Amino acid sequence: MGYRRRKSRRDKLIEEQPGNEADVKEPSQPSFSQLSQNIEYLTKALKHSNDLKIRILQDGQAALLFFETLSDQEKLQANIFTPIESGNFDSISKLPNGKKTDDLEEALKVLLRGHALYIEEGNKSLVYFTVTTTYNRNVKEPDNEKVVRGSHEGFVENIMININLIRKRLEHRDLTIKYFRVGKKTNTNIAIAYMDGITNPELVKEIKKRIKSVTADTILSPGFMEEFIEDNPMSPFPQTLSTERPDRVIANVMSGKVALLAEGSPTVLILPSTFFMFYQSPDDYNSRWVSGTFIRIIRLMSFLIAIGLPAMYIAIIGFHFEVIPDDLVSPVKSAIEQIAYPPFVEAFIMVIIIELIREAGIRLPQPVGQTIGIVGGLVIGDAVIRAGLISNLMVIVVALTAIASFVVPSHELSTTLRFLTFPLIILASTLGFIGIVFGIMFILIHLVKLESFGNPYFAPVSPLRIKDLKDTFVRLPLFKLTNRPNDANPINEKSMGESREWKRSGKSKKSRQTKGTTQPK
Amino acid sequence: MKKKGLLLLLCCVMLLTGCWDQRLFKDAKLIMGATFDLTEDGRVKDTVSILIPEAGTDRATEGHAHIETGIGHNLFDARNEIDKQLSYQFDPSKIEVLLIGEELAKKDIYSILDGYYRDPRNNLSAEVAVVEGEASKAFSIKTDQEPRVSEHIVGLLDAVAKTTHSHGDNVQLICAELFEPGIDIALPLLTVDTEANKINYKGLALFHDKKYSGISLDAEQATLLLLMNNKMGKVARITRQVSETGEPGMTRYLSAEVIKQNRDLKIKPSGGTISVDVNLDLYLNVVEYPKGKLTNPKVVAELEKQLSKTLTKEANEIISLLQESHSDVLGIGRRTEAFHYDTWKNMDWDKDFKTIMITPKVNVTIQEHGIVG
Repeated sequence: MGYRRRKSRRDKLIEEQPGNEADVKEPSQPSFSQLSQNIEYLTKALKHSNDLKIRILQDGQAALLFFETLSDQEKLQANIFTPIESGNFDSISKLPNGKKTDDLEEALKVLLRGHALYIEEGNKSLVYFTVTTTYNRNVKEPDNEKVVRGSHEGFVENIMININLIRKRLEHRDLTIKYFRVGKKTNTNIAIAYMDGITNPELVKEIKKRIKSVTADTILSPGFMEEFIEDNPMSPFPQTLSTERPDRVIANVMSGKVALLAEGSPTVLILPSTFFMFYQSPDDYNSRWVSGTFIRIIRLMSFLIAIGLPAMYIAIIGFHFEVIPDDLVSPVKSAIEQIAYPPFVEAFIMVIIIELIREAGIRLPQPVGQTIGIVGGLVIGDAVIRAGLISNLMVIVVALTAIASFVVPSHELSTTLRFLTFPLIILASTLGFIGIVFGIMFILIHLVKLESFGNPYFAPVSPLRIKDLKDTFVRLPLFKLTNRPNDANPINEKSMGESREWKRSGKSKKSRQTKGTTQPK
Repeated sequence: MKKKGLLLLLCCVMLLTGCWDQRLFKDAKLIMGATFDLTEDGRVKDTVSILIPEAGTDRATEGHAHIETGIGHNLFDARNEIDKQLSYQFDPSKIEVLLIGEELAKKDIYSILDGYYRDPRNNLSAEVAVVEGEASKAFSIKTDQEPRVSEHIVGLLDAVAKTTHSHGDNVQLICAELFEPGIDIALPLLTVDTEANKINYKGLALFHDKKYSGISLDAEQATLLLLMNNKMGKVARITRQVSETGEPGMTRYLSAEVIKQNRDLKIKPSGGTISVDVNLDLYLNVVEYPKGKLTNPKVVAELEKQLSKTLTKEANEIISLLQESHSDVLGIGRRTEAFHYDTWKNMDWDKDFKTIMITPKVNVTIQEHGIVG
């Protein structure tokens, strides 16, 4: 009973929220026929901002309003004044590229979007022209997701360009883009992209519902959206894959997932995501499948190293030194004999040092950042051993852990891994191997329980889907991946038919029939 | 609120119990080797080699050994005596080698090993050997082959196991044999030459149950015994005299490596007792024979015949030594118990092993002779 009541109240809340299409109450204000009244209303609403320019035309009988900071002067000239001067039109309001409105509130919105607004004395209809100026950087390869082979394009801060990059790669009528506006004050334009007919409509419905229920004033980036719409914000694991690469977005959209783009950010979120998606890189598919598989297995091994190696080392040094191989006993013993601190403190200091170096390196300008790397890595690393604070083995272990955590193609998961090292270090230093087993068990239980938009996060391992393992630990040749992964429950599972019949020509019945049409090259 | 309390409780359980069973590796005094002797008043003299790592070096080093002795009523008592003289804690979990003095071995080796089987933290892969005379003398040897004497002994024992001179037994592997009546162990026998500062491998010490019989085989016999026991190591080398004439003397000898061996042990029960045939086929690769002419089938056949005869004779000697020492290394008793239980039931193996007929036969085939004829 209680549950049901609570649920219905929640639903009601959602419905009452602005932005929900069902009962949107957009404020509206019919325009006045008097020019001065209109202008006064607008300038007041815009708090007499100094960058709002009002050009009085026709001896005070008309006015053109625009934000000089948002509008392009040349476009203004070309779209409005040049046609007038050519003499074909006698009034600005009659220009064919102008759009009309009689709502002052809407006029406000279009002004803020960078349009120019034309108001005439005695005329209630307001005309506006698109003269928005944009400053865009190049669609260059994102620095945090570089690939060796394949496309070197990356998303930029303009959502239109981003959608253009997607559409260019996916020329199909089923590619559906839906716009939303979120952030009461920032009014951020966000869009979702999905393939109609492949993506599960339930999923799209759920995502739309979650996006519409966001009521925050400020939505600056997809990172904000991520926290509002993800299933389990308490989890250390990222539940949406963020990428700046169009090819990665296309690949995911084609397997039935939804991409979420936002104005002002080159990051695109993929919903829903699974754990193993974070370990896939476009490079796997650009190179040959054998090398792709090899690199992916190395990458997955890095997961175990990144979360488990320091813990393992501490457990061995502090509890179970029987497992050290006989020939290593003496070297290990001599390395740690003179260290003042217990391994737990030792590891803690070293991990913190590495994190400090990393963080300092990111924030500083490039030349200084390199200096930090050298000072931190070489000087501190060497001195710390000589000073006897930390054993050289611990430096190896922690450095290896840091490297392993950077192997993950996703920055979010990389941070998660380095963060997960800490609880495991604590457990290992209190309980030894048993602690590690418990820690990893908790992490696994959590991973298995986690859902991303209603889809299991740890799929296809749990729940086990043998078919989808083809592109998880290994990457089989593309022509073997005939079915889309079941991660997002696509309604159209088949992704290809027979592609390499020519290879078997003369051997199977089917290929004999099509022998005349397929010609091997 | 409930959740928070639970979390707090969990933290308390983990961090505040006070029973932190941490054993820091750096605080352990690692015992790398131990020797055991019987003192005149019947107590145990335990001499151990302790690993002392080299301090303040940049590179990883082998460290050196520190020798300490303790005398006590039993193993742990002697250990306690040693522990009193050590900084940090006595830790036998990485022990590499256990040496048992001849006198103690002749009494009972299990009385020493018992403590090693009971404590789960002991290293069961530590190698075991018997030392002629007093075992503690072995640790007084300062060899410059290896910085630590225990490492030197382990290397020695590994090498003799590889060349088919010993079973390569460790604490774990001899356990079952110690308790089973139908099979006995043979541990490598070492001698300590204090004057030459050397430890040598002498042969195999033959055990009966848990006691060293006092009879041992030399190195050549050890190899043949191991071949008869189907326990060939990585290589098995045989050097035998094959002719009476020839100058210089080394031309009379032939050296060969065993490529393949095929042992057939047949137990025939008859009239309440058994007779045993041990047939051993050896396929050899001649590695040294200066006289040569091994491409001639006649020469080869002659050599094979000669070698078979010599080895069969030696095998007979080994068998009689085994029976004399009452050491059933071949596990004939175990096989009899398994395959001829009715006969076994009526036999008193402790006595009857000496009386049964064991007929060994070695059959040599020369298969390869290297790249010259």
